[in-house]
Amino acid sequence: MIQLAYPLALMSLLAIPLLLALHFLSPRRRRVALSSILLWQAALKDRTRGQGFRRLFRTISLLLLLASVLSLGLALSGPQWLARSDEGDDTVLVLDTSASMQTRTGGGATRFELARSAAADIVDRLPRGGRMLVMTSGRKARLRSGFESDPDALRRVLAPLRADDEAGRPRDALSLALSLLRNRPHGRIYFLTDGAFDADVDPGSPQVVIRTFGGGPARNVAITRFDLRQAVARDDRFEVLLTVRNYTGAPVSVPAAISLDERVLFQRPLQIAARGERTLVLAFPGSARGQAVARIRVDDDLAADNQAFAAVNADEVLRILLLTRGNLYLESVLEALPNAQLTKRNALRAADLALLARSYDVVVFDGIAAPELPTGNFLLVNTLAPGLPFSDAGRVTRPPIRGRGDSALMRDVDLGAVRIAEARRIVVGQSPPGLQRLFWSPQTDLALALLDERRRLVYLGFDLAQSNFPLQTTFPLFISQSLAWLRPRGNAATSNYVAAGDTHVVALPAQVTQAILRTPAGKSETLAVHDGVLRMDAGGNAGIYRYTVGEQERFFAVTLADARESDVSNRWQGGRPGGGAPPSGVGAQALTPLWPYLLLLALVLLLLEWGVWMRSHADA
Amino acid sequence: MTTIPASATTFADKGVFDDAFLRKLARLEWVARKPLRGLLHGEHTTSRRGRGLEFSDFRQYRAGDDFRHIDWNVYSRLDQLFLKLHAADDDLTLHLLVDCSASMAFGEPPKFDHARRVAAALACIALNNLDRVAVSAFSGSIGADLSPVKGRRQMARVLAFLAGQRCGGTTGLAMVLRAFAARTRHPGVVVLISDLLGVPDVESGLDALRPGRHEVVVMQLLAEAEIDPPLDGALLMVDAETGDELTVTVDADLRALYQRHLDQRLEATERYCRRRGVEYLRASTAIAFEDIVLRYLRQGIHLR
Repeated sequence: MIQLAYPLALMSLLAIPLLLALHFLSPRRRRVALSSILLWQAALKDRTRGQGFRRLFRTISLLLLLASVLSLGLALSGPQWLARSDEGDDTVLVLDTSASMQTRTGGGATRFELARSAAADIVDRLPRGGRMLVMTSGRKARLRSGFESDPDALRRVLAPLRADDEAGRPRDALSLALSLLRNRPHGRIYFLTDGAFDADVDPGSPQVVIRTFGGGPARNVAITRFDLRQAVARDDRFEVLLTVRNYTGAPVSVPAAISLDERVLFQRPLQIAARGERTLVLAFPGSARGQAVARIRVDDDLAADNQAFAAVNADEVLRILLLTRGNLYLESVLEALPNAQLTKRNALRAADLALLARSYDVVVFDGIAAPELPTGNFLLVNTLAPGLPFSDAGRVTRPPIRGRGDSALMRDVDLGAVRIAEARRIVVGQSPPGLQRLFWSPQTDLALALLDERRRLVYLGFDLAQSNFPLQTTFPLFISQSLAWLRPRGNAATSNYVAAGDTHVVALPAQVTQAILRTPAGKSETLAVHDGVLRMDAGGNAGIYRYTVGEQERFFAVTLADARESDVSNRWQGGRPGGGAPPSGVGAQALTPLWPYLLLLALVLLLLEWGVWMRSHADA
Repeated sequence: MTTIPASATTFADKGVFDDAFLRKLARLEWVARKPLRGLLHGEHTTSRRGRGLEFSDFRQYRAGDDFRHIDWNVYSRLDQLFLKLHAADDDLTLHLLVDCSASMAFGEPPKFDHARRVAAALACIALNNLDRVAVSAFSGSIGADLSPVKGRRQMARVLAFLAGQRCGGTTGLAMVLRAFAARTRHPGVVVLISDLLGVPDVESGLDALRPGRHEVVVMQLLAEAEIDPPLDGALLMVDAETGDELTVTVDADLRALYQRHLDQRLEATERYCRRRGVEYLRASTAIAFEDIVLRYLRQGIHLR
């Protein structure tokens, strides 16, 4: 394949029509009147026969002249021969954006800046018609473009890329890159990285070219672990875990500080041996609620791991409306739940149910006939409601419990000793979606869970007073797990943090459809909630992320805190330094300039033309 | 000396027959005392051989002559073949057919002027010899013609007729000669004065004269520029008769080719004339008309 370095120079080929015009536009002929032109016609005919060679010479002369002009024009346009140009030569450019790429090099630039500059060089040498795909390797492998042949588009893709606070997983990125080049044996993968990963990451494929940047010695001290939690069985104490590691070859004294909601909990220097680490478990009075930050003050080459984050959301109150004519067991269990706020009523107007269902997290019907259930979370005990995928079909006495489902609601629930004097007999429609069988007898289902687009519902098909189930130790567990399923509250009592680049998943009430996520940088994004699950792709930057559901604001921490990522030395050691000679051509494609050959050809053609002209002139 | 009527001088202002011409014509008349028809006897395969008994002249034998006219006495004395020429008894009509097609205007002087002067000279000689003279001008067809006249006084009419002709049109020789032969009842001497250029069918035209009936003389006049064209370079040639154009670059090679074709053409015409008993005379306009007349009269009539 030939590409032109200066296509505009092809304008010089416009000289060809000019040449043709000069050739064919003979000078104005002198008009001569003759008595007859018959003899001249005959003479001309004879000459035409005899001048075959001369005409041939003249034609050859013109053709040689045209060919020389063509060669000259093409030479000026800077043609280059591309050794291979089939589709198999596609290139995948993998840029390492893990946190270690933020490490400063001796020249002041970060490893990532060097790698991105090298990536731009590779894009610059992308042959015309060649294609390149850009992807990044962080916590996840991300495709940043499709296979593009436009270098400008690729440069636009490269420009905004930054190294994040993510712990890299280069093996995943390289696997993905290789899969993209499947059946393209001539394709090439360039992995631009710092080599701060284990040697077994290298897939050993000849298609993979790993170029390392800033692989020299680096100074780094990092926070590799940070967390806080409420002390076990102690509401008045909480604990903090902090590990700081010294990756340098000399002992260091690092000032460390821990704060919770901007309240300083700890602040003192830590003495850490060469290539050693120091772990602190600190106890503090009070509740582990809020946003915690740990920082070390050290002037090292990688700043991203000099701080870590953790967060525990404030308690949430579970508001329960119990509609009952009196049920000691149930009331006792509900009141005993932590953070539960129980409201009891013995009657209900159907018109009020929709409003109440929005006001309470869970509405419990105990033996009271329920109207059609609106959007909300409901626990039905010994009662049914219209519009459900199962209906009342009478009663059964002494139903033995013969089966139980593997639902999360039934986790650790032991039904072996449970006896039921009488239960409702229900008929379930044909495989209704979202229906889980919790436990059952041969005659009927005794407990069900239903999740549809608007509602979550747990059904218990017998009167608790007609069973010894409330007397069993598993009853509070069953009720607790049912309420947790009906109204998910997240991990309220433990810290919420995810690794940078990971996905934070939060369970939300079924009626929640969207949430607003705000990053540490202040950017807001509206996220959709599907089936009560909110998935938030934690950004590459560490910090506290906030999300708002309705009027409630919650938060979670995104942190690096990864011992292997903070080890910024080149552990791979198999690569070629990035500053070395560039790879020979992109995707095994070599460009050979053709203009010297064309220029030589033009000169030869001109010489031939001169020779032919001289010959024909001599003949004339 | 001169027998040219005074009235003929009135054409001096015509350019063609100026005073100089008239003076030359007078001298020619004096020189050409011999009967014109002697020109014709014994020439090739003549049909008018031996009609009269009056001896006229001798002439050297040429291939094709009727050897019955060879004089044995001369042959026995000189060992050379001579023809014995006799004068015809009947009246002779000289038909002058002058080509006035557009091609005749070519040359310096124009061939047409030359043709008219030659025709006038021949007419003068014939009229002085008391022969009848008819003149016809033709191009694509026979245009104006002068009915046969006789007597020296008619020379003025001949000159006036010739002076009044103009060049134009294409040469339709075959058709003209066919028409001429059809309307001319009495055999005579037909002198065709033409350049014969632009005439692809000279032979068929001459065939129409049925040489058996007429004594035919073809006088082909060519301009010097036609014999040795002074042309060179890129030209647009225009045929004076047809208007056809030819784009050509003339060089020495092409000129040589032209001359070769011209020679072939002239030789072919001459060969044909000789074969059919037609007297063929070729002249260039570079030669003075009187020299043409005298030279050819000497060549043909033995004016010695």
